[in-house]
Amino acid sequence: MINHGNTSCLGCLFFRPFFLLLIFSCLGALPARSDDRIVTVGVYENAPKVFTAESGQPEGIFIDIIAYIAKIEGWKLHYVSGTWREGLDRLARGEIDLMPDVAFTVDREKTFSFHKVPVLSSWSQVYALKSSGIQSILDLSGKRIAVLERSVQQEVFIRLVSGFNVNTTLISMPDYKTMFELVARGDADAAITNRFYGLMHGKKIGLEGTAVIFDPSDLVFAATRSDPKQLLDAIDSNLSELKIDPQSVYYQSLKKWTSEEVRFNLPAWLQILALVVGVVLLVSLGGSFVLKYQVNARTQELKQINQEMELRIIQRTAELAAAMEAAQAADRIKSAFLATMSHELRTPLNSIIGFTGIMLQGLAGPLNPEQQKQMTMVQNSSRHLLALINDVLDISKIEAGQLNLSFESFDLRPSIEKMVKLVSPLAEHKGIDLQVNITPDVETITTDQRRLEQVILNLLSNAVKFTEKGHVCVACRTENDHYFLSFADTGIGMQPEEIARIFQPFHQIDTGLARKREGTGLGLSICKKIIDMMGGAIGVESQWGQGSTFTVRIPRQPGELT
Amino acid sequence: MNDTLLIIEDNEQNFYMMRFLLEKNGFKIIGAEDGRKGIEMALRCKPLAILLDIQLPEMDGYAVAAELKKHDELDGVPIIAVTSYAMVGDREQILTAGATGYIEKPIDPETFVAEIIQYLPKDREDKEK
Repeated sequence: MINHGNTSCLGCLFFRPFFLLLIFSCLGALPARSDDRIVTVGVYENAPKVFTAESGQPEGIFIDIIAYIAKIEGWKLHYVSGTWREGLDRLARGEIDLMPDVAFTVDREKTFSFHKVPVLSSWSQVYALKSSGIQSILDLSGKRIAVLERSVQQEVFIRLVSGFNVNTTLISMPDYKTMFELVARGDADAAITNRFYGLMHGKKIGLEGTAVIFDPSDLVFAATRSDPKQLLDAIDSNLSELKIDPQSVYYQSLKKWTSEEVRFNLPAWLQILALVVGVVLLVSLGGSFVLKYQVNARTQELKQINQEMELRIIQRTAELAAAMEAAQAADRIKSAFLATMSHELRTPLNSIIGFTGIMLQGLAGPLNPEQQKQMTMVQNSSRHLLALINDVLDISKIEAGQLNLSFESFDLRPSIEKMVKLVSPLAEHKGIDLQVNITPDVETITTDQRRLEQVILNLLSNAVKFTEKGHVCVACRTENDHYFLSFADTGIGMQPEEIARIFQPFHQIDTGLARKREGTGLGLSICKKIIDMMGGAIGVESQWGQGSTFTVRIPRQPGELT
Repeated sequence: MNDTLLIIEDNEQNFYMMRFLLEKNGFKIIGAEDGRKGIEMALRCKPLAILLDIQLPEMDGYAVAAELKKHDELDGVPIIAVTSYAMVGDREQILTAGATGYIEKPIDPETFVAEIIQYLPKDREDKEK
């Protein structure tokens, strides 16, 4: 592990910002062309030094460092991927500016130039299983050694062992990964890789670096011979900086890509972890014996309770089933009763209403004024009775969940006008101004026409009924996906406590004998239920003595209000 | 000119009321108190239109309408269903069964005749004009 003392750290804290400032001011002073700032870097596959990650982005120690320097220097990096050979060729032709991971050789210096501070120092190293007992080059005698085929390592290694008169069997493999797998399986005794590959992958597969190390070299960035962008000087100055600070990108990158740091820290972690795990295990072991005894005792108790509960559940289930059957039977009887009553009550009532109407029209002969007055009373009372029966039936259906809506598309305007026409005689009789204000955008609606008309009529007749002077105004307009209807009157209005209960069924019954208004008190609760089922909303605002305004929002198409 | 209307209705008072109102407006009325007799009478008399109660004993109005529709000689004779307070779906059901139109009880003496006339064949109105 590379260890630069902490001695210079204090100095660097002060020095570094100053140094960066210096670089920036220099950059500012130079009339830098935009081309100067684009630096093209070759990338080839040699993890963890430089390689292409799964994401397609270049990664590795050299990349981390050049990316950091580029950030400081204001360079814009372009990466060009290829093989090692292609990279060197491109650099020779000046197509790229830098090639990472190049070792200095006399031969190469004819074509390229190099910076001086090494990025990495590498060497070739023999990796073997931990149990191999390989201590020195002499221990390799008679072993099967995996090497990268046609590599420099292979040549150097052959020279090395022959110098020591050690006989080995070489197994040439196409890549490091296969070599390591071979050793892990026991098909080879050792493998030769560069130290970085070994650091990154050895531990994972159970291999260890032996003391057999050879062919050390410094790895740097190579630039073209002339280095017109003066990249190498910048790299050197930044690299010196990085190597001083133990927290710098340089050391972080090394730590990230090799298991060096981890290898030293792991035992401490393991010790604490093992201690904790051990204590936990002991405690839980002791606890489990105590618990087991207690659990056995409780299990017996629970079994007994369980049996009692089962018996009780069976009893209660039988009782409930009987009650359910009785309730369902009662419900069927109720529904049948209502259907029968509906028919039986209406048929005679229809006769009364019909013949009263015939007589009032004078179709059966002329009536004198007193007869006319009395027959009108009969007609009003019988119509009122029919309305009451209809309300009671509606609320029964609602309570039983049997009120079904039948949706169809129709024009809303004529529907409202039809209902207004029905109440206009009463309004005229009472001297109330009946105003209708339907905006032109009110067109079709898809809902249950009869039920909507029932609601409109109910709200309209209430308004006229409870208004003695002034006006009743019905308005309708389009709002987004729904229609907004309002029924405003200048009638008696309501007290706040009454408003709160107005939409509850039978609310009038609460007032007992003191009630002043005719009707079942069911009308508004039916209206609310119907509007709810249509996906709409009904509301009211009222002031005692001032009048009331009922509002209805109803979707134009079946669905909920937005 | 055919001015005869057939009323199939089991309730005496309802029948009386409809007959009274329609006769006042110049129609001739024949009546049947159950479905079988009604179908028989329709085939014999070929009325201008048939007023059909739905809640009839034995054979109900749906069945009567369906049966009447099977007879080609009654093509073009409107069947007008007359029934008390419509339950949801009644309207669709009776129209599917073959009725031309639909009138709800309670009968409103002021509008009943006008409602019946709107279902009568158009050429009759033209002849009257």
